[in-house]
Amino acid sequence: MNTRQTPEWPASDFTRVPFRVFMDEDIEQLEQERVFDRVWCYLGMAIEVPGPGDYIVAYVGRTEVVLSRDEEGRLAAFVNSCSHRGAQVVRRIRGNAMSHTCPYHQWCFGARGELLGLPLLRGVKGKGGMPEDFDKTAHGLKALRVEEYKGLVFGTFSPTIGSLHDYLGPRMRPQIDRIFDRKPRVLGYYRQRIPANWKLYLENLKDHHGALLHLFHATFGIARPTMTARVALDVERGHSFTHLADNDEDKVQVRAAYAGTEQYREDYRLDDPSFLQVEPDYDDRVTNVIMSIFPNLMLGQVANTFQTRAIRPKGKDEFELFWTYLAFEDDDDEAIEGKLRQSNFIGPAGYISLEDGEAGRMVQIGIASRPHDSSFVEMGGRGALEDADNISTEVAVRAFWKRYAEAMAIDGDDRR
Amino acid sequence: MTKSEASGPSARADANLVLDINDLLDDYTSLIDRDDLERWPDLFVADGVYRVLSRENIERGLTAPLVYYYSQGMMRDRVTTLRDALTYEFVYTRHVTSPPRLRLRADGDVAVTSSFSIFQSTEAGVTRTFAVGAYEDIVTRTERGVKFRSRDVVLDTFGVLNNIAIPL
Ligand code: FES
Ligand SMILES: [Fe+2]
Repeated sequence: MNTRQTPEWPASDFTRVPFRVFMDEDIEQLEQERVFDRVWCYLGMAIEVPGPGDYIVAYVGRTEVVLSRDEEGRLAAFVNSCSHRGAQVVRRIRGNAMSHTCPYHQWCFGARGELLGLPLLRGVKGKGGMPEDFDKTAHGLKALRVEEYKGLVFGTFSPTIGSLHDYLGPRMRPQIDRIFDRKPRVLGYYRQRIPANWKLYLENLKDHHGALLHLFHATFGIARPTMTARVALDVERGHSFTHLADNDEDKVQVRAAYAGTEQYREDYRLDDPSFLQVEPDYDDRVTNVIMSIFPNLMLGQVANTFQTRAIRPKGKDEFELFWTYLAFEDDDDEAIEGKLRQSNFIGPAGYISLEDGEAGRMVQIGIASRPHDSSFVEMGGRGALEDADNISTEVAVRAFWKRYAEAMAIDGDDRR
Repeated sequence: MTKSEASGPSARADANLVLDINDLLDDYTSLIDRDDLERWPDLFVADGVYRVLSRENIERGLTAPLVYYYSQGMMRDRVTTLRDALTYEFVYTRHVTSPPRLRLRADGDVAVTSSFSIFQSTEAGVTRTFAVGAYEDIVTRTERGVKFRSRDVVLDTFGVLNNIAIPL
């Protein structure tokens, strides 16, 4: 065992989550080594680096990496820290360059992070310079393995992990295919700095708050607790997805489901509901698909919006939520306008998602003085981690913690 | 005197119009800072457009807005939901804006740009800078006085501090 403490889990079925995991610096450090450095981490989309030399900055946990495309069109990724004395090499978050020169002492790296050359290699007039045995090939920027699935690009530091295809697994891949078999294009980015531990957002993605916290959701029929729902788990891999679909439930059912809350108001009418009445891309009546890929990627659909959300830790009590909002190649002008209108659901100001940031903030504040207490996670039952056909469940939250706890407890030598 | 970019005396906005526009801009920020949001939609024409945009997206030619309301009705809906449905942190806000730049357009409307800073103060009186950016407006004359035909709020602070609840 590592000498540093790993989190202890008060319940073997993960019905309790120790608040300490949201506020402890040692745990945050350990997460980098034991979670982020050992998994396939989402870096971006292939369409964001379409041509040779295109690059974007991405993150593996707290580690800044560069995703780039080389002269042959192959994807590569490397840590954005100089192999000389550690300076940040690439200084814009996106661009195009076939080589990257570290400004500090001018070491020059290729599009795969390999060291191309450096000044003063042989010194000046025979004096100074690198030792005779200096081997350029051994001093490139630290590289990641890179693989792509349906245009989603992932990187890993692990030399032993299996293929990305297998990492995503048979449960998630069909869900990903449903959206990403179409060729996407980026409509825009949203960024939120949420004052909460990143894992609180994972819990948020996987729980039953949708029709409760988001009263807009509920009131205007985007999600109701009575909708056809499915929560599906890949327990081994730590992924899950939630599906909601319309089923024409009657008002009586809806009212019954909201018994116990005063907030549901049937009498609400929007003055201008036109942005809700956008022609959907799919006719399957699915209104929400929230996929979460372990550890920190959300892919999905809210109403007729499609997006990726990278959950980027920025310390134990802050993360950046980085949204890539998508349209598709087959969208005509009207479909694009529909997606722009529905942006009112999502992003930092969206009717649905602004509250998710607030939820994180509220919990982070609420638990601040309770590091030794735990949350209570029994909605949907205790014990076995199994799929559910309703959303009155926190089973996917428990499944996340199981995978997380397993990762955090493993000590080994396969980390960098 | 507000600076006008248009050349020639006929292209300059007349003094009364300039004063009316200044009043409109002042009304906007002061009613938000007073939490008089119900009046906010009235500063727009009926099919007025209010958008919040990210400088990052604009620079990249990407069109996704953070907010996109294209009617007074949508603005009223925002206010209603802020009052009755949405969960967000209570803050006092304070806008500080630059003098506007005006440019008379060929269609008689006026393009107006100004810079803003928005500060938020918590209920405990702790202040933070929430957002800086620019307003890019099209202002038009109506029977009810000058109104926004459109207001684009372009955020330099597109890495939004948690979320955007009330209008910027
Ligand atoms: S730190 Fe990069 S060249 Fe010296
Ligand atoms: Fe939510």
